[in-house]
Amino acid sequence: MNAIWTTLVIICFALLTATNPNSVLTLCVESGKQAVDYTFQLVAIYALWQGVFCVAERCNLVEKLAKILSKLNNFLYGNVSKQAQKYLALNMASNVVGVGNASTPSAIEAIKLMEGGQKLSRGGAMLFVLNACGLQLVPTTVIGLRATFGSQNPSQILWPTIVCTLFSLILGVFLTNIAYPKKAQSSNL
Amino acid sequence: MSYLVPILIVALFAFASFKRVNVYNSFVDGAKQSIPTAVAIFPYLFATFLMVNALRASGVSALIVDFVSPPFQLVGIPKQVLELLLIRPFSGSGSLAILSDVYNTYGTDSYVGNCASVIMGSSETVFYISAVYFSQTRVKRLGWAIPIALFCNLAGGILACILCRFL
Repeated sequence: MNAIWTTLVIICFALLTATNPNSVLTLCVESGKQAVDYTFQLVAIYALWQGVFCVAERCNLVEKLAKILSKLNNFLYGNVSKQAQKYLALNMASNVVGVGNASTPSAIEAIKLMEGGQKLSRGGAMLFVLNACGLQLVPTTVIGLRATFGSQNPSQILWPTIVCTLFSLILGVFLTNIAYPKKAQSSNL
Repeated sequence: MSYLVPILIVALFAFASFKRVNVYNSFVDGAKQSIPTAVAIFPYLFATFLMVNALRASGVSALIVDFVSPPFQLVGIPKQVLELLLIRPFSGSGSLAILSDVYNTYGTDSYVGNCASVIMGSSETVFYISAVYFSQTRVKRLGWAIPIALFCNLAGGILACILCRFL
């Protein structure tokens, strides 16, 4: 990330300075504003979902959910702690229900619990790849945007989208399985 | 579909009251954690937005698109959606802006419009997710995780352009 980001920013800023020097600082400030706006949106969304998840947790529903999903989670993430399993189950559930961004807080908590060392483990890799390949199947935002732009049939892209998402998802699980093989059952868990 | 989430929330709150859980306190306790989570993500958001905006404003993204378009056209991806494919891994709002441009220029129901829609819907912001997920761990060596995610999204994009020919 460091190499990509630094190279691109240096090139772009140099080009912008050559063509339109005034725009550089404006662009930086504008980006900062965008990031602040977006962060506040995230605070609102996370507050709702972390609140709801906390209620679910205190009536032991998350534990039950983790139990239901334990076979699937075991297959995907390998051997992880009980607490991490709960967050992984929450992440899976919020992705399936399809509420944008609700899956992020649980993913962060799960990954914090799974990753102690400097080298990415299977669990963290799988969680990242699943979320980065779009575990979220229904493209509500895109369908909404198509409707706003006057599409005759906003949801005609639904089936191809689901097929493509599933395709990249399965490919992702397959490749991650190869690149991060499951460790042999460790006894210290 | 629009009933699902509200019903789930109402059912959860009712169930929690039935189990004598203090819903109000639990909700507030959970919501409290949202600020540290979002604040930890903020610098990564800022850096990403900065790069995406610089890419678009300086014209570098257009140059990259011109440069890489021949091989992509070979696998059936039209040039007009390449910028979307390029920005999509970095920024959700940046790629939504590009999607709107595509809709304005080519219409939502054209082949290009459909391709762009499916690509947008089936792919994810890979670099953004990696920044957010790994921001609070000490992980330094990611191995193949990011290349795998990028490759899968690209493969999904190629499939999208193929499927849209049949719409």
